[in-house]
Amino acid sequence: MLYALTVPGPIPDVEEVRVLEWHGQVGRAFEIGDLVVELETHKALVEVRAGQAGILRAIHCAEGDWQVVGRPLAVLSDGPDEALPSSPDELTALAVDFEVS
Amino acid sequence: MSSDIQPATTKIFFREAIARAMREAMRDDPRVVLLGQDVGPFGGSYKEFVGLSATFGPTRVRDTPVAEEAMIGLGVGAAAAGLRPVVSITYMDFLMLGLDPLVNYAAKARFKTGGQIRTPLVVKTTAGAKGQGVAHSQCLEAWLMSVPGLKVVAPSTPADAYGLLKAAMLEDGPVVFMDHKRLFPTAGEVPVAEGHVPIGKAIVRRAGTDVTLATHSYMTRIALEAAEALDRLGVSCEVIDLRSLAPLDIETIAQSAARTGALVTLEEGQLTCGVGVEILFQVLERTGPIATARVGALPAPVSSNPVLEAAALPDADRVITAIRRLLESSRPGKS
Repeated sequence: MLYALTVPGPIPDVEEVRVLEWHGQVGRAFEIGDLVVELETHKALVEVRAGQAGILRAIHCAEGDWQVVGRPLAVLSDGPDEALPSSPDELTALAVDFEVS
Repeated sequence: MSSDIQPATTKIFFREAIARAMREAMRDDPRVVLLGQDVGPFGGSYKEFVGLSATFGPTRVRDTPVAEEAMIGLGVGAAAAGLRPVVSITYMDFLMLGLDPLVNYAAKARFKTGGQIRTPLVVKTTAGAKGQGVAHSQCLEAWLMSVPGLKVVAPSTPADAYGLLKAAMLEDGPVVFMDHKRLFPTAGEVPVAEGHVPIGKAIVRRAGTDVTLATHSYMTRIALEAAEALDRLGVSCEVIDLRSLAPLDIETIAQSAARTGALVTLEEGQLTCGVGVEILFQVLERTGPIATARVGALPAPVSSNPVLEAAALPDADRVITAIRRLLESSRPGKS
């Protein structure tokens, strides 16, 4: 199954974030608890960790790109060969844990 | 055509626009120094000075005690002695502790000395209500607009925060640069090329034909929200962002109001002796009778209770109601 990694929220006052750093390239398998991506808000960092296992298949927002809360950053899948959709918008959201610091 | 070429921009947070302006000015002019509470390694109360201390060192980026009169007094003296200080007063509410050096010394030095002493001082401060109660929420800019010799600017976007702060640091007299707590979470496009936004020039944020809505700072966002909703109701609202409160770009507002025939002002501060009443009178002097209304805070302190805070402050619904009521009374059938 395919999943969309979206900007987690709600985070007080935050509508939009900037991607700071991806922790792995397309093809990397993430386990539960692995740090996937770090995001920047107007005053904090958001660490997004995988809440379920998955393989990173496509990155929609590169480092330095902006995205609004709830919108997709990347696509992950259970298996390595599942065909990617043309748009990540309709995908089930990947379970994540996130911490604002 | 060259007019079709948009300058390259990059999207940054509001705080980053301030940091960029400071960084460029400090790089270009060794006389520019920054003083204030937590401006040093902490990077500013809103992280708007991050990186400056590391780049320019503690001599030019100085943490001070929380003593506003001394901070601004030090700034005025340093300015008179040849530096170009930027003094950060975190909350505008506490700017009143520094009004003596700002109003009696910085704003008057040039007049008092026949132009021999200039005080190129920038006081940067943050206004506005955001859950912090009676003494950390005020918008006091109207007090400052009546001081001869003092300029006051109030950006609503990262691009103007950058450009107006750059302009303020080039002035030969004191400038109050006022931002707003609710602008710090925002981001926006800023020109890649270095430059500044001239002080004293308002900007039309949205073109319209039925009513002119003049506002500044964070309320520009509320005005645009109201204008969007009014558009759906068939009312075309022109939104003017003042950007500079002293001097006021009254011509831009008057030309718009003469065209639309109706002028509404919107401010987060108090209406009595406020920004709005000054604009309305100056415009009426130029246009003759037109329909006017003003929207601002209720005459009550801003509570730390969020329900009461919201009750005291203007929002898009109140702006819409005021504009519809004005147009209904002046032009029955329009709204």
